[in-house]
Amino acid sequence: MLAPERMSRLMVVASKEQMEPVISELYRNHVFHIEDFVDSGTEDYQGFHIGHPLSDASEISGQLLKLRAIENAFSIDREKIEATKSEQAALRKRIEEELPSIETNVEGLMTRRSALDNSIKDCQQKIEALTPFLTLPVPLELLRSYDTMSVHAGYVAHNVELAAPAEVWYQPSKAGNFIVLVTPANQKDEVEKALAASQYTSFPIPVENGTASERKAGYEGQIQILEGELKEVNDKLGQVKKEQEGFLVACEELLHADVEQSEAPLRFATTNLAFIAEGWVPSDSVEKVTAALNRVTNGKVLVSKLEFDPTRDAVPVEYHNPSFSKPTELLMDVYSRPKYSEIDPTLFVSIVFPLFFGLILGDIGYGLILLALSLGLMRFLKGEEATMFIKVLRNASISSIIFGVLFSEFLGFSMPWQPILFSRHLNIGGEASAHGSAIPQLMVLAIWIGILHITLGRVLGMINHARMDHGSHRTKSILANFGWILTMWGILVMIWAFFPIPLMPDLTKLPLVAGLNPAILVGAVMVIAGIVFIARENVLDVIEVPTIVSHVLSYARLVAVGLSSVALAMVINYISIGMMIQPRLVELHPINILIVVMGGFVFLLGHTMNTALGVLGGGLHSIRLQYVEFFTKFYKGGGVKYSPFGMKRQFTED
Amino acid sequence: MVDVTTGVVMTEEMIKASQVGMKAIGAGMAVGLTGIGTGLAEMSIGAAAVGAAAENKDMFGLALLFTVIPETIVIFGLVVALLLLF
Repeated sequence: MLAPERMSRLMVVASKEQMEPVISELYRNHVFHIEDFVDSGTEDYQGFHIGHPLSDASEISGQLLKLRAIENAFSIDREKIEATKSEQAALRKRIEEELPSIETNVEGLMTRRSALDNSIKDCQQKIEALTPFLTLPVPLELLRSYDTMSVHAGYVAHNVELAAPAEVWYQPSKAGNFIVLVTPANQKDEVEKALAASQYTSFPIPVENGTASERKAGYEGQIQILEGELKEVNDKLGQVKKEQEGFLVACEELLHADVEQSEAPLRFATTNLAFIAEGWVPSDSVEKVTAALNRVTNGKVLVSKLEFDPTRDAVPVEYHNPSFSKPTELLMDVYSRPKYSEIDPTLFVSIVFPLFFGLILGDIGYGLILLALSLGLMRFLKGEEATMFIKVLRNASISSIIFGVLFSEFLGFSMPWQPILFSRHLNIGGEASAHGSAIPQLMVLAIWIGILHITLGRVLGMINHARMDHGSHRTKSILANFGWILTMWGILVMIWAFFPIPLMPDLTKLPLVAGLNPAILVGAVMVIAGIVFIARENVLDVIEVPTIVSHVLSYARLVAVGLSSVALAMVINYISIGMMIQPRLVELHPINILIVVMGGFVFLLGHTMNTALGVLGGGLHSIRLQYVEFFTKFYKGGGVKYSPFGMKRQFTED
Repeated sequence: MVDVTTGVVMTEEMIKASQVGMKAIGAGMAVGLTGIGTGLAEMSIGAAAVGAAAENKDMFGLALLFTVIPETIVIFGLVVALLLLF
């Protein structure tokens, strides 16, 4: 909690004969994050070089490539296949026996399919070339192979008037005015000039025998036959896909694992006889890994823990959170994964994000819609990230329902009870304000949330600096963070001394000391001390002091965005029910019924839109408050993701 | 009271109504003008942020963050409008 999983740095040393069993055992355990060996030529690593892949690497890669080509052709979606696990040994046997024949079969079908596709495209092109000539009643062979005549065919803007003797066929149409001209070859120049004057665009004369319409019919017949064959091939491919889908993905998984294992030595440091693998393992699995490696090599391996500096070394980071804040790790990864040595704020985000979301979209109706939506989506979407996202949405919508009860709201209507928290019911349409609204109080509540959230951020900042910095810089930066808190609260105390604000301490009535409200004095001292602390770390940071005010006020969005969504809901209700449905229900005749139905439609459409806007507004603004206002106070991020050597097996087992 | 431009005598009710109207106009301007301001600011940031995120997917979080920074302006407008109206 609040810190990533503890890691240990392990070094595995063994002779090269033990390389294969060590690799496959590390792969099976799926906890060893390999640190790639870089051949930098430093003194410590003299005589070491990058290892060579195991002997069968290229062969397996070739097989995998072919397999992936087939999977691509089938467009297999791994997430849609039901995971039935097949045993590895049996699978290997099947790969040897069946895979080659499946491959040749599929390759044959694929070649046939692309050949058919090409022939169909050919025919279609020919039909296209024939199209302008369709109205021409003359067989096409009469338009070519003349020595003393020249033939022109194409579109013109208007009919051509020629001095030379000519045979002309002219057909005006929407696409263009089609003309075919047969003239003596020796007057070609003159004819071309006349054609150019009428904006002539020429067509190549198709090399066909018979009239254009006959030929077109012929080609269309051909296309039909080809398409029939294509369908047959596709059906066959579909059948192969259906039969072999599960086998193919299992094969891919197995081969992928093989390739990864045989290429692992590329990440190790090796000498002529031995190899060293360095990497990271969660501290609680160190013993398990050591024991496993000793077992497979009969003790011919040296596994030792190395020292490391948690702030300087690039320690891979794996989250370590209670299960309810697991989905929020998605929101953290969108921003940046925490560094190993800093506080992991996932827990705070997982609590505060739904609270903010509920505060913005506090409505029982919308909450229920979103809850149903997320539960429904959970059935369809399978990927890891998608599931996390949906769980975040689910938690947020539950919080939305709870706040809906507190605000006494259902799709903008008020529920029969008084709002337990401050009322958000606005005066829209003169009737919806059953409880009256308490906007100033809500705003102050949002500001309070902002003040506390930012103070928490600064306190976390102090802890982070205490952990990660060294020397005089450490004290300075801790004090600077304290200075920010002092300045913020100093400003607050001064404001309290001047203005009475609901829900905040009223310091205006304090007894005067030397003609001055003591609170002003205290506030001023706090602000000045704070600014001094900030300036000691970095003078330029003093410019940023006004952001204290803007960041705190920024939390007003919690109420403002929420109120705009309430207002929209109320407007929708007023238009659809107050203006369209209710007045028409007095007397039922066809027009009234029509308008009532339209009112229902407006109601549905409006609330659908408002739900979408609510999710966007509620989600984006709540997460933005975390990213911009909260994280900037303490969070650095940029940690390396922990990705252990091995894979989560879906389709295979030992 | 007499309105100078039209010479119409204004009753107290009319004055109240016109005050409500003015408030509404003020609220509308608060949201509208700050919206334009935010839009102008986000225009170039958004374009650059999308570019950066397209180049490198890890930039997405930071890009989103940069893009929504000017959003605060319109939120202030919204807050002012709400305080004016209710």
